[in-house]
Amino acid sequence: MSYLKLILKNPFRNKTRGALAIVGIAIGIMVIVALGMVTGGLKESTTSTLKAGAAEINVMQTGSSSMGSGRVNESRVTELQNISGVKETAGLLRATNTSTSGSSVGTSSTGAASGTTSMGSGGPNSFGGLSVTGMDPGKLSLAGIENVTGSLYSPTSENQVIIGKTVSTNLNKSVGDSVNLFGKDFTITGIFETGNFMTDAGVFMSLTTLQNLTSNKNTVSTIAVKINPDANTTEVSKSIETSYPNELSTTSAEAIAGRMNSALSTIDAATWAISLLAIVIGGVGVINTMIMSVFERTREIGVLKAVGWKERRILGMILGESVVLTLIAAVVGTIVAVVGVVVLLSLSFGGTIEPSFAPEIFLEAFVVAFVVGIIGGLYPAYRASRLSPTEALRYE
Amino acid sequence: MSKGGNIIEIHGLKKSYDDGKIKALNGLNLEVKRGEFLSIMGPSGSGKSTLLNMIGALDVADEGTIKVAGIDLMNTKELNEFRSQEIGFVFQMHNLIPNLTVLENVEIPMYETDLSSSQMHERAMDILKAVDLEDKADQIPTKLSGGQRQRVAIARALVNRPSIILADEPTGSLDSKTGDVILKLLSDLHEKENVTLVMVTHEPYVGKMAERIVNVLDGKIQN
Repeated sequence: MSYLKLILKNPFRNKTRGALAIVGIAIGIMVIVALGMVTGGLKESTTSTLKAGAAEINVMQTGSSSMGSGRVNESRVTELQNISGVKETAGLLRATNTSTSGSSVGTSSTGAASGTTSMGSGGPNSFGGLSVTGMDPGKLSLAGIENVTGSLYSPTSENQVIIGKTVSTNLNKSVGDSVNLFGKDFTITGIFETGNFMTDAGVFMSLTTLQNLTSNKNTVSTIAVKINPDANTTEVSKSIETSYPNELSTTSAEAIAGRMNSALSTIDAATWAISLLAIVIGGVGVINTMIMSVFERTREIGVLKAVGWKERRILGMILGESVVLTLIAAVVGTIVAVVGVVVLLSLSFGGTIEPSFAPEIFLEAFVVAFVVGIIGGLYPAYRASRLSPTEALRYE
Repeated sequence: MSKGGNIIEIHGLKKSYDDGKIKALNGLNLEVKRGEFLSIMGPSGSGKSTLLNMIGALDVADEGTIKVAGIDLMNTKELNEFRSQEIGFVFQMHNLIPNLTVLENVEIPMYETDLSSSQMHERAMDILKAVDLEDKADQIPTKLSGGQRQRVAIARALVNRPSIILADEPTGSLDSKTGDVILKLLSDLHEKENVTLVMVTHEPYVGKMAERIVNVLDGKIQN
């Protein structure tokens, strides 16, 4: 039998105690992995809102409580193109399909530049709560939509839509299928994927069609503005606000992403605080387990010394056992976290938030487990290695 | 069996505990020839187990000289290496590791040697054969009788081919019949392997199996 095999075998002499120690530390690892997967997923989504081709500035009505909740005259879409530094503009009207049975209820219309705004109430598991955006199909790149499987809807069509990948998955819809929105059947001509969890949970159709359906003729909720490569976002935003005082306000996509990242950083900090607490508790559990193990095996350690084992071999054995416990805990915690996050996100958020599977999340968890194993095992191992052989052999 | 020179030379050995209040060894002198079978006898607290621990380098004396297998134990720091290479211990309680098999228990002392896993396995099986426990190699100690466990402990003591076996009351926890079997085994292995055997006992009939008996009283040899 090898020394390594002995180290692997020893932690399970007392199966209950070993299992409890594993559960204790696995909870800490689970928290690290689960929160890492969720915040990582949100960060990846935020980053995708800043992709090249998407609008840098969102223009909305001044005083609107949230982005897109106000109304802007559609004529402003064309007018803004004359402002210095503006390359391209697109009007968007956003509404929430509140119908769950297919009947048209679409009276609550909100607007926002797609890709950076929040989704309407409800989740996309049902037809009700679906975020529907009206937009010129030729301007979809300003909403971050670059790749569409199938084809785009026609600018004049009254019954064509493209749907996000999340909607497609959750409603089990593919190109050619129909979907009932606001009491009207639409044919799905294409499916898009932007990487932004909010955009991918939405439906896009012709602007005119949505305006008609929601009685918002000649009105948009947001104007997405793409600026020239040499233009400055802040300066262009200022020009727009100066040109339309008390009417239009601007928000940059970068600022929104920055705010989201700032919020995620706060969540990150909270994650670490919770994780640290869990690790400390788990670590104390490991120390307790290993100290008990050393106490129980005092005579045995005396025998190992009597047969010639060096102090460092005994130290290595106890430390190794501690690390084995925490690494097993890392495996258990990671599996529970992955399964739990995937299941919970699909049940609670309808798959709108894609968890991150970035290797660094798992690496971090295993490094933490390893460090806890070393720290937790250090004192018991030192204690065991320093035992006097005669006293250890006399130990009752 | 031919006896060589002294393998153990002890002069004026002193050891006290509890800040000198308890004098376990009080200027003890002893010489043991290579290949000899010696019994150390004496009442409880006479210092016989302390003496055995000093010979086995499990403890360090306060004063005096102690040379075992040519090594001055008062002036060497490599006591682990000395124990691994020169000494085999047999305790009153077998002290086997309960979650390891018989074979694995016997392999334990070889971890500090340069032997490969297969060599360790081969040597452990050979020694288990010598103590007639070859067929129990894969069993865990709790499934064995007291006598069998002590035979495993003897195999463990012999596996590194030490020059000295130190046995501290090896039959103390066994019934007389099983004790006799263990003593016979120790005696036979001593003859066969030409290993020096130093045995601590307080049982006169056990002591008489040795070639020489020394009596310890108040930390000194009496005869």
